[in-house]
Amino acid sequence: MKRKVLVGSVGATAIAFILAMAMQAQTQQLPSYRAPRFPGTQNPDLNGIWQAVNSANWDLEPHAAGPSPFPALLGAIGAEPAGQGVVEGGKIPYQPWAAAKKKENFEKRLTRPTTHELNDATGDPEAKCYLPGVPRATYIGLPFQIIEASKQILLSYEFASATRIVYMDRKPKAPVDSWMGWSIGSWDGDTLVVDVTAQNDKTWFDQVGNFHSDALHVVERYTPLTQYHLMYEATIEDPKVFTRPWKISMPLYRRMEPNIQPLEFKCVEFSEEFLYGHLVDKLSK
Amino acid sequence: MRHRFLAPRSALTPVAVAALVLLAQMTVAAQQAATGGTQKTSAPASSSFVTPRTAWGDPDLEGVYTFATLTPFQRPAAQAGKDRLTPEEQKALEEQLKKKQEENIATNEHFSYNAIWFASDQGRPTGRTSIIVDPEDGRLPPLTERGEKLRAEMRAQAATKRIGKDVLVDTWVDLSIYNRCIARPMPRVSQEYNQGAEILQTPGFVTIFYESMHDVRVIPVGGRPHLDSSIRQWNGDSRGRWEGDTLVVDWTNFSDEETSSGSAPFDGFPQGNMHVTERFRRMDANTLDYLVTVEDPTIWTRPFTFDIPWRGDDPTYRGPDDLFEYACHEGNYRMVEDVITAAQAVRAAHSGNR
Repeated sequence: MKRKVLVGSVGATAIAFILAMAMQAQTQQLPSYRAPRFPGTQNPDLNGIWQAVNSANWDLEPHAAGPSPFPALLGAIGAEPAGQGVVEGGKIPYQPWAAAKKKENFEKRLTRPTTHELNDATGDPEAKCYLPGVPRATYIGLPFQIIEASKQILLSYEFASATRIVYMDRKPKAPVDSWMGWSIGSWDGDTLVVDVTAQNDKTWFDQVGNFHSDALHVVERYTPLTQYHLMYEATIEDPKVFTRPWKISMPLYRRMEPNIQPLEFKCVEFSEEFLYGHLVDKLSK
Repeated sequence: MRHRFLAPRSALTPVAVAALVLLAQMTVAAQQAATGGTQKTSAPASSSFVTPRTAWGDPDLEGVYTFATLTPFQRPAAQAGKDRLTPEEQKALEEQLKKKQEENIATNEHFSYNAIWFASDQGRPTGRTSIIVDPEDGRLPPLTERGEKLRAEMRAQAATKRIGKDVLVDTWVDLSIYNRCIARPMPRVSQEYNQGAEILQTPGFVTIFYESMHDVRVIPVGGRPHLDSSIRQWNGDSRGRWEGDTLVVDWTNFSDEETSSGSAPFDGFPQGNMHVTERFRRMDANTLDYLVTVEDPTIWTRPFTFDIPWRGDDPTYRGPDDLFEYACHEGNYRMVEDVITAAQAVRAAHSGNR
């Protein structure tokens, strides 16, 4: 019996140690894991289909479970699960006006865009199947694929067929702002660092209306923890909206199903009734 | 076996025949052995050209390309019986196209899409009179009975959406799949703009990223079965294999939804039964040959094959940063609002309700 207790306590210590290491891995890579190299290069090979498993797309901040927006129609389907949050320190450091704007975003998140002015001013871009921006594309709930070739990386998301080229060997300048921004990559040890600028001000961070301006600057870090996990961190800076830079982090999990492949989620056709239904629905006029 | 339906190409010019004879034997032999039939190649690779290899030994097709070309998909009636232009005709065509482009700039012919959209993204004529290389007349093959019936139905449906010269969009569903920004039907043949694509390779996969619609095809190479036939996708399901230096892609599982006439390369027929075989082969440091056979025995009486050069030396697509974000749906609200309200106004005026 004594022996068993001893083993148990060693096990607990080991678990505590692993947990501590996992926490530490948010800022630095586990020393015990070295990713395989991409053939013909010294770069770690991050190829694969990855997915976040959390409720960050509903709310980046800590939150209790809540009902769906239409419980009379959907019952418990579409209700939001609770989450401990992915923001370091828990809270997003909004400037006062921006905190009020976030609240308004939430209240009007499912307002039917019956005019183009309303469409520009209100509503969760996810409901409209608009390109999700960075970092939301990472945790919007669908898998994405890292296609790491010898000179360049392509990130391909199931959601809305969104894509980003990550320029690795040079640093071209963004010609103009865009929905998915302009991504310049580099390696910091085994960590892929992606500097994302030139995003427009139309995307959100989540469904509760957390938002940014066109001054958004995101620095992402993708660190291989094991063959099956990446640690994803994003430092978010936007002096027009926040009082200081802030950071989110979450593990990404490799999709392991045999023959897994990205499938189409071309959600435009699922968004059209929401966007344009009022035009053909005489009762709404 | 399907390639048995392909007739040998008898209209090759003497120069092309000579080049074919000189072509490195292995590639042709391997292709023909694997397909069991006469494999067409329109532009044989230079005999001195050696396809580079990736670090893991696959033929290297990587690069940024454009499939833009001014050669028409089907051969115009005026050039019946002739599959290539003479150098003089080619020069005249280029001059004529340049003039037309200048006129477009002056007249703003395409309305909201003026010549700025088209000026730098039109590729070059191939020297051939059609993109289709089989059947030999350079035209789509005759339709089957079902094909004719579908075409008649699509035309009848379109007629209900027309009053005089006005094409009426009563609901967003009346717009083509392309105008709705859902998909640009595959396979891609020359289109008006944003005809860039990038090929990236990783061990076991070839990825094609199309600028238009920011579509990505991650093509597993070797062995993996197709998706279940219940899973239909706008961009289908692709499986690749290497035959010598050629990437051969078997492409199925297309959506059977109407694509709407004019938005698809082959008259907008539903693509649910379509089976496509693509062949990508590097011709030289800057050019891929893209040879594609399309079969749908429920629509066409025989398969057809087309051939487009993917050029890596076009000034419009010098590198990956020339493939810009194609945010289409994101800017479509006003267009849909305008065409639907316009249709309502036309219908109201026509029925005397105002």
